[in-house]
Amino acid sequence: MSDQDRADLLALYRQMARGRALEDRVNALTNSREFRGFFHPGRGQEGIQAGVCSVLRKDDYLLYAHRGLTYLTAKGMDPVRILGDFLGRVGGSTGGLGAGTVHCVDVENGIMGQGGTLGSSFTLSAGLGLASQVLKQDRIATAFFGDGASARGTFLEAGVTIAAWKLPVLWICENNGWAVSARLTDVQGTDDIAPRAAALGFYTEVVDGQDVRAVQAAARRASEKARAGQPAFIEAKTSRVEGHYTGDVQPYRDKDDVAQAKERDPLLLAQTQLIELGASDADVSSIWDEAVAEMAAAEDRARLSPEPTGDRIFEGLWA
Amino acid sequence: MTSTEITYAWAINHAMDEEMARDPRVVLFGQDVGRMGGVFGVTRNLFEKHGPERVRDVSIVEHFVVGGAVGAALGGLRPIAEVQFADFLLVAGDESFHKLPKWRYMHGGAFTIPVVIRAPSGIQGGVGAEHSQSPEGHYWHTPGLKIAVPSTPADAKGLLKSAIRDDDPVIFFETRRLYRVKGLVSDDPELLVPFGQASVRREGTDLTVVAWAGMVPEVLAAAEMLAAEGLSIEVIDPRTLVPFDWETVAASVRKTSRLLIVHEAPLTMGPGAEIASRAADELFVELDAPVRRLAGPDVPIPQNMALEQFCFPQVPEIVAAARELIRW
Repeated sequence: MSDQDRADLLALYRQMARGRALEDRVNALTNSREFRGFFHPGRGQEGIQAGVCSVLRKDDYLLYAHRGLTYLTAKGMDPVRILGDFLGRVGGSTGGLGAGTVHCVDVENGIMGQGGTLGSSFTLSAGLGLASQVLKQDRIATAFFGDGASARGTFLEAGVTIAAWKLPVLWICENNGWAVSARLTDVQGTDDIAPRAAALGFYTEVVDGQDVRAVQAAARRASEKARAGQPAFIEAKTSRVEGHYTGDVQPYRDKDDVAQAKERDPLLLAQTQLIELGASDADVSSIWDEAVAEMAAAEDRARLSPEPTGDRIFEGLWA
Repeated sequence: MTSTEITYAWAINHAMDEEMARDPRVVLFGQDVGRMGGVFGVTRNLFEKHGPERVRDVSIVEHFVVGGAVGAALGGLRPIAEVQFADFLLVAGDESFHKLPKWRYMHGGAFTIPVVIRAPSGIQGGVGAEHSQSPEGHYWHTPGLKIAVPSTPADAKGLLKSAIRDDDPVIFFETRRLYRVKGLVSDDPELLVPFGQASVRREGTDLTVVAWAGMVPEVLAAAEMLAAEGLSIEVIDPRTLVPFDWETVAASVRKTSRLLIVHEAPLTMGPGAEIASRAADELFVELDAPVRRLAGPDVPIPQNMALEQFCFPQVPEIVAAARELIRW
């Protein structure tokens, strides 16, 4: 236990808090119907996203998933741009085409977007890894996805090619056990995804996704492997606290299951660890307060940008 | 600069070879494109000349071939991805209808997607309903894709070079029936054929026929027979469907007052419907006869080689349709 450990965990906690505070604002926008699309909350999964992104370089590629926002802010994206997308403003990262998490983009920070059809990141991450390898860039390509998307055929097609070509790719499966209303074990006959990746030749780590330090340690090992040309895979066991989308009251799910998920909150676990490491309650709560204030200010700034006019739809189709 | 008589397949090979020599970011992958040089021999020597880093074989992974090409382009390469048959592009439906045309637009124009998908298409050799299609209409119906449909060796080379240098995604339909057809092709590595510029293959005054890819030789043969009857056919090959050179078609119809569209894809909802509809809209007062389409019948293509001949317009049908329109 050292000051360094405490500082490291405070930094991770800060990223988890920022992601959650941003998500709280988006949930509020969704509930007030100002944002009328679907939002898929990532509450309970912040530790995975903050932990993995903490070991990535600025120029490493990120293909994020649909659940939560922590990977975006942890990878360096400006929350004003993210909120601009939700609010449908030209100052959003998609220039007013948003809204929603789905297509936030930030090339400067290696955030290469997301598709509306889950599982499409497998092939795209393979291509990004190929580019890094051919261009001798030493960047790794990461793709996040859930246990549901891991069933897609693209997993196999991209996976065998990544393994054959030894591409610098890291896949992160956020296994929360639920694909919308379907339990993983009911629809895939297993609770474990990592063996599938191991069978393809990936280096695999299985980690408690609620423990941000454990995720960070696993991600450090896995990203080093990937950078050295050994494709790597992290299965982070996690829990989905909220429904598939904001407003989904989860009638298909046992109440105890949700209660347990809430207890295993990665922010609460990190708070306990921080106190053990000598941080004060004030240290912890000030980080949360700062995150809340940052995101409130970001929303105010995002609102300053105008909404697009109808002719926006014809811009940017061609290079 | 000299020209050499080479085949359509070899012209495609030269285009890739020259562009790979010019730009180290150009890479090629697909089934059997490496040591074998392609199942149709189109990629011969490229593996030996440009090396295993840039010319790569893949397994049977169409989702990867198209999706990986999009990813590689996002990462700064200029990939040429080959599907063995154009039909197999449909296997990669999500990648070819969504990721390839939409990734740039969905992300607010943050990226360019300089991908070329080479897709050998059309009926030849009894390979059946899933190896013989001409799916250009499916992709013309998808905003965000450029589409090349070359009919000559010179165009195959020049259009492919333009496609590789283009910052937008291109689906390059190669007609397998034309692979062994020879023609004069410039050796100039800087001679490109621009997209969106139709070629008037034959000038005429009585009827405009629009045809592309494998139908161009059939239409030219029909025009030759009709000339013997004193009927003068103008044959327009758009060369690319996106962008489409409407001006050249419209100017021709203003001259001939008659329009026939000939394509190999099935008639219903085929690419000819779009051209015919636009002609009805914009050239109504110019027309002296209905706009006609000759196309493949609305059936899957049988494997029996004797029967597959009934699945795309033949010279006698083109001659008969042309006569009927001119005498309307």
